[in-house]
Order: sequence, then structure tokens, then C-alpha cells
Amino acid sequence: MQSVLDAVVEPRRREILRLVRTVELPAGAIAAQFGDVSRPAISQHLRVLRDAGLLVERRDGTRRLYRTRPEGLGELRSFLEEFWDTRLEALRQEAEQETEEQRP
Amino acid sequence: MSNPSDRNAAAGSLVDVGEPIVREIHIRATPETVFEFFTDPAKLTRWLATEATLDPRPGGVCHQDHAWEDGSGGSYHMRGEFLEVSPPERVVFTWGFTDPDVGVPPGSSVVDVTLTPDGGGTRLRLEHRDLPVAAIESHSGGWTGMLERLATAVVTTPGE
Repeated sequence: MQSVLDAVVEPRRREILRLVRTVELPAGAIAAQFGDVSRPAISQHLRVLRDAGLLVERRDGTRRLYRTRPEGLGELRSFLEEFWDTRLEALRQEAEQETEEQRP
Repeated sequence: MSNPSDRNAAAGSLVDVGEPIVREIHIRATPETVFEFFTDPAKLTRWLATEATLDPRPGGVCHQDHAWEDGSGGSYHMRGEFLEVSPPERVVFTWGFTDPDVGVPPGSSVVDVTLTPDGGGTRLRLEHRDLPVAAIESHSGGWTGMLERLATAVVTTPGE
């Protein structure tokens, strides 16, 4: 998870994640959005994001296409979903047991 | 620095958790029976917490201690407040922990539970919303540790 935190502290990397959140883009098109950043720097940002599990990279011929990997930031969500699933199952058992006991 | 990405970052637009977490479950018990498991400390501690102090009315405390399961005797302290208490249909309370490592401070998120009669039983819908950005930005380790400690807590329930 630390790599995720490291990846998103850089503002341009956050901007990249927003850019390709809903649309897959080649590296060149992503770089074109940042006139003040060199292409190698953009490539480095893409690599960091990919290695952190935040970007999906796909090759199409000589191009590399990128889009945001939505589950990359979903750890808290996953935790809570499992937490509530487990707890609610326990609630179900307890409430049904109580209902059984009250039945004549 | 004043470019758009900085403003977006400040607003947490990237690292929010998106849609609320929604869980639904069918329980073969009446809404009245199920409702008490959210408002009666003796019943809440049978499925969710080890200790509970509950004042089930709007503005009343909803305090729950969630024990670590590592044998250390420690616990996480959920310090919430009831927002709505409408037996047997709906109960809403804030959800957050005083323990910084959890990363969800008191008052920061909301658990909204609705109970609907369903074929002699109850359809329970739980929505957990407004989870703070900080939880995922800085403290996911706390959640992971909490998961490990809590995962086995509810598998064995009293009286089984």
C-alpha cells in the first residue's frame, strides 16, 4: 500500500489518474496534456502508477495504452464490505436464534 | 502552485471511495426483533461489539468497543452518535474511531440501516457512506490490521 501512497502524492500523477479514469489513452496523448513536463518524466509517472497497481497498461502494436485501475484504491472499501458482510451474517444468526427461542 | 490538479487534490477527488457501501441481507425475524440488535447494548454486543453504550435517540451516544482478536486486550473505540431512530424501520448513526490508526475519526462517516418486512422476515439494507479520504490516503494499514483482528470475532457467537 505504501507504493500507492507514494504514487498519489505527486500532483501530476493524480492528474494522470483522473485523465484516464474513464477513457483509455496512449502515453503520447497523456503527455500532450502536460506541456510543461517532459515526455520521459511522464513515462516515469506512468511507470510508478502502473507499479503501484493504479494504472492498467495495454500494448497495441507499438503504442502503450493506459487507464486507471479502479480497484487500486479500493482497499478501504474492500475492508468495509467484508467487515459488514461478516457482521451482518452474525446478526442474522443471532436474530433468527432469538426468534426460534421465542416460538412456542 | 494553483493549477487545477492541486485544487482537486485538496478536495480529495481522486482518493475518495466513490459510492456508498451497500449491503442487503434477509433475516428470518421480524423488523422489531432485528431493530433491537442495533439499540440494545446487550444485543449489539452479540454481533458487532464487545462493549456498547447506546442512547438510541437523535443526538444520543452510540459507543462501541471492538476488541482486537490478537489477545492483547486492546480495543478500537467507535464513538458515534445516533442521527435517526425510527423503530422498527430505520436507524442511522455516525461511525468513527478515536484511534488514529483506523483513520476514520468520530463523526466522519454514517451508517444508515433500513428494515423492511419481507415474507414474514426482514430485508435489512445497510448503507455506509461519507467515508473520509484520510482513511485511504494515510491509514489503510490501520484498516488492514483491524480486519485481521476482527475477522474471527464474529464467527463464533454466543449460544451456538
